Amino acid sequence: MTTPITYDDKSVRRFMIASLAWGVVGMLVGILVATQLSWWQMNGNFLAWLTGGWLKSDGISFLTFGRLRPLHTNAVIFAFVGNMMFAGIYYSTQRLCKVRTASDLLSAIHFWGWQIIIVAAAITLPAGFTRGKEYAELIWPINICVALIWVVFAINFFWTLAKRNEPSLYVALWFYIATIVTVAMLYIINHLSLPTSWTHSYPIFGGLQDALVQWWYGHNAVAFFLTTPILGIMYYFLPKAANRPVYSYRLSIIHFWSLVFIYIWAGPHHLLNTDLPYWLQMLGMTFSLMLWAPSWGGMLNGLLTLLRTDPVLQFFAAGVTFYGMSTFEGPLLAIRPVNALSHYTDWTIAHVHVGTLGWNGFMAAGMFYWLAPRLWKTPLWSHSLAIIHFRIAITGMLLYVVALWCAGISQGLMLSQLADGGTTLKYEFIETLDSIRIFFILRSIGGTLYLAGFVLCVINIWKTARAGEAHDETVEVTILESTRKDGMGWGEALLSDPLAHVFLAMAFVILAFFLPPHADKAALLVAALLSYKAYTAFQASNDTWTNWHERLLENYLPFTVLVFVAVAIGGAIQIIPTLIVKREKNIEGRLQEIYTPLELAGRDVYIAEGCYNCHSQMIRTLAPDIMRYGRAGVGDDYSHFGESLFDHPYQWGSKRTGPDLAHEGGTIAKDATTMRVGQRGNDWHCNHFLNPRAPSPNSNMPAFPWLFDKETDVASLPRKIAVQSRLGVPWPALSPDQIADSVESQAQEIARSLVAAKVYLPDKPDLQGDALRNHLAKSQVVAVIAYLQKLGAYRDVSKGGRPEPSILDPDSHRKAATTR
Amino acid sequence: MNQQPKRGDFAKEKGEIVLREHEYDGIQEYDQKLPNWWLFTFYGAIVWFVVLWVLYYQTNLFQDSHELVKEQIAAIQKAKSAELEKTLATLNDAKLVHEWATNPQVVAAGEATFLTNCVPCHGADLSATITVGTIKAPLPGLPLNDHQWKFGGKPMRIFQLINEGSPPESTGNNGAKMQVWGQTLSPKQIAEVVAYIISKIPEDFKDIPASGLTEVP
Repeated sequence: MTTPITYDDKSVRRFMIASLAWGVVGMLVGILVATQLSWWQMNGNFLAWLTGGWLKSDGISFLTFGRLRPLHTNAVIFAFVGNMMFAGIYYSTQRLCKVRTASDLLSAIHFWGWQIIIVAAAITLPAGFTRGKEYAELIWPINICVALIWVVFAINFFWTLAKRNEPSLYVALWFYIATIVTVAMLYIINHLSLPTSWTHSYPIFGGLQDALVQWWYGHNAVAFFLTTPILGIMYYFLPKAANRPVYSYRLSIIHFWSLVFIYIWAGPHHLLNTDLPYWLQMLGMTFSLMLWAPSWGGMLNGLLTLLRTDPVLQFFAAGVTFYGMSTFEGPLLAIRPVNALSHYTDWTIAHVHVGTLGWNGFMAAGMFYWLAPRLWKTPLWSHSLAIIHFRIAITGMLLYVVALWCAGISQGLMLSQLADGGTTLKYEFIETLDSIRIFFILRSIGGTLYLAGFVLCVINIWKTARAGEAHDETVEVTILESTRKDGMGWGEALLSDPLAHVFLAMAFVILAFFLPPHADKAALLVAALLSYKAYTAFQASNDTWTNWHERLLENYLPFTVLVFVAVAIGGAIQIIPTLIVKREKNIEGRLQEIYTPLELAGRDVYIAEGCYNCHSQMIRTLAPDIMRYGRAGVGDDYSHFGESLFDHPYQWGSKRTGPDLAHEGGTIAKDATTMRVGQRGNDWHCNHFLNPRAPSPNSNMPAFPWLFDKETDVASLPRKIAVQSRLGVPWPALSPDQIADSVESQAQEIARSLVAAKVYLPDKPDLQGDALRNHLAKSQVVAVIAYLQKLGAYRDVSKGGRPEPSILDPDSHRKAATTR
Repeated sequence: MNQQPKRGDFAKEKGEIVLREHEYDGIQEYDQKLPNWWLFTFYGAIVWFVVLWVLYYQTNLFQDSHELVKEQIAAIQKAKSAELEKTLATLNDAKLVHEWATNPQVVAAGEATFLTNCVPCHGADLSATITVGTIKAPLPGLPLNDHQWKFGGKPMRIFQLINEGSPPESTGNNGAKMQVWGQTLSPKQIAEVVAYIISKIPEDFKDIPASGLTEVP
């Protein structure tokens, strides 16, 4: 029985247009933040120049790097690539299932909901509402909307699968399934927070745990938002456009399952050489390397399918090649010694842009050029404009990436270069920044070229749409009898031989990580026997094994469950032990001093201004890091993780455009009651916020003049402190009055020191003496200074010796740990 | 491809290319065995993981990163003390005033170090002020050109103050003390900075006799 079916191509057109529009916005913000690194005036002062002096400012809060960088990353990831991904998924899923999307209503809710979320993000992020975690900055009400819309998308997608008229699932759909399931898991867990108000919340994880959860999410947002859906899109559009069969089906299977299983484990490579437990660093590094081949499996299947003849294929070929480059570079950067040089530098930024500009951007362009003539039923407006786009884009992208490679590697080398004599470092941080300024300018030019190419794409698609007419494709499909799909039992799907043996063997290998000496060897032996059993079963029943996977592909629910198992294992192994281990017991001798209420308020300002985008708070276990940022005379002054134990959210950072601040603070000053003074005086910080270039010539930090006008938010502190107490931060019992008094006395003490140091506010020349002191004491700048002067404060609680061997801490069983 | 590809489910041998029967929306798939270099990369990475894990956790071959970095830092501290001792053995007040401070190359090197590290607190003109518009605003450090040496003004004392930071008896500027510059600068650089300061305010050091020159090698 056949029936005509009209595909819902309207949703595809909507998502595609949204992607083009948000792409321009996101890249424009990207160029603005890039130029801010070269010219501090781009943080708002440029408006005075643009308006002929009408708008005068030392800096505008919602245009500073710290607030716009999250806007850039969120816009290109969730708005540009997100909408592009949805366009590709909606187009190809209908055709691969030979059925119209299950619900037009859900499609519409999905589309409009997603756009509203993006608009909400574009308003809240520049306004300084943030959770302070990279790529997870959006505030909690928006998080809930994202989760709900994602569920709408998932229901729509799986419902469509259930209605399919095609018995078996094509490889593109496997990747879509992995995307939907895994992003849901990652997003929900990393966004667990307790609200303190409608716009603010604290993540439930703190310090090391928060870092681990964050990068499990952060790394896999790249994997399952920017990689797997685009691989699925590649598997549909590339063979379509090339009109050739996919290179190897078996490679599809191997690379899919190894990719989804291994990717999850690689998150800790963002925390290499920190105080993260060694076994996690080891897993992060080794699994990243194991990821290389599976990633290249995707590249091979794309590249070897191709013939390069027209712009669509040129974009696909380049996109797939850059995917290969980027996934080779990733494992390379995850090797600890390489990472020691590359981490916190622009090399990482270069790496992600190979992925985003090269892989995502080029695949998007290829897909758009392929889709536009089909969605509007007319030839592409200009073939040659598409080719010009390709050439500009590839020039811009290479300029961008090569400039940042040079910047990252040369700054990394300079930061660890020793002076003559070999006992001190050769360069001050600011000198290393000076040396890479030219690369920053080249990168802005590269990015501008890339955006220019993208604008050509927008024009081309717009002209095409205008020339044609919106068209929904109708095809004749055979209705599939329900007995021909989804007939597999759960037992057959999950417990059949050799699968059951493989699962058991894996469980024993994982046990071997954690068991004490000798028990671990026994576990490995059992795992080896089980593997042998699986192998023989596999050999004996080659036919049924392949049949099993073929059958699995005709059963979307068991398939989805197995994908979930594969992606859940890595995260569970890495995160759960760290959550269970009693955190106060495992702090390596340093226990963080609790903030005072004023310091907490300052910390929230620090987070809102996005300081973490440029300043890390993590001195790694590397000699150059300790020499540069450690305190004089403390031999092991790297950041022990007990020092950030109670930080919700953690602020270790991932990039050092400015120096590390982990040990910026100090002890309580002589004759003071609460005022601390660290590496620099209060007046230094005060002058630095007014004009960073006064105390630190050539600095590219924006000025923060509004910190001197805005008042510290004291009213919300009781609620914030109550929430933190519930999260396990040992705050003393404080009434709201006590909190207000504590804030007032500490702020006054700091303000008094600033007045005594004769600080001078250029735009308030009349404020002096007591008036100046009272003004400063109320302003955010004093709260931030209080926070900065507290950074790195800890109580020494070392009991000597190593921690007791414990079942959830593989490092404690280590042979060398006890004998050396 | 001239000849019609073989139809089937899976390739059985290396080099064989099988075109699979099933089509999805017109998309066809080949099956062929995977290239050896790909398999080598994949299996190699897995073997490397196993070997590294076993070597690290079952043998004594690797130091953990904490122990390693502590040893490195201790070695650097030791070298630094030795260097300081060596430099101090060849320095005294007379040497700094009459040899270092009169050597233009040494003074220029000292100036360069001063400009990078000391200006934010002591000012480019050593007055510990900065001109903001029409106002001379104070900087966090003590002025160096006011002829007052609160913690002692002998060249070797100045060397010590820079090397070790503000002395313990200092209450600091509103609590803020000068950092331990010996952490960042080598003894030679510190001596150069002292020479630069002497060259800028020679009148404060004119009492130091040249006779002391013979006391050190």
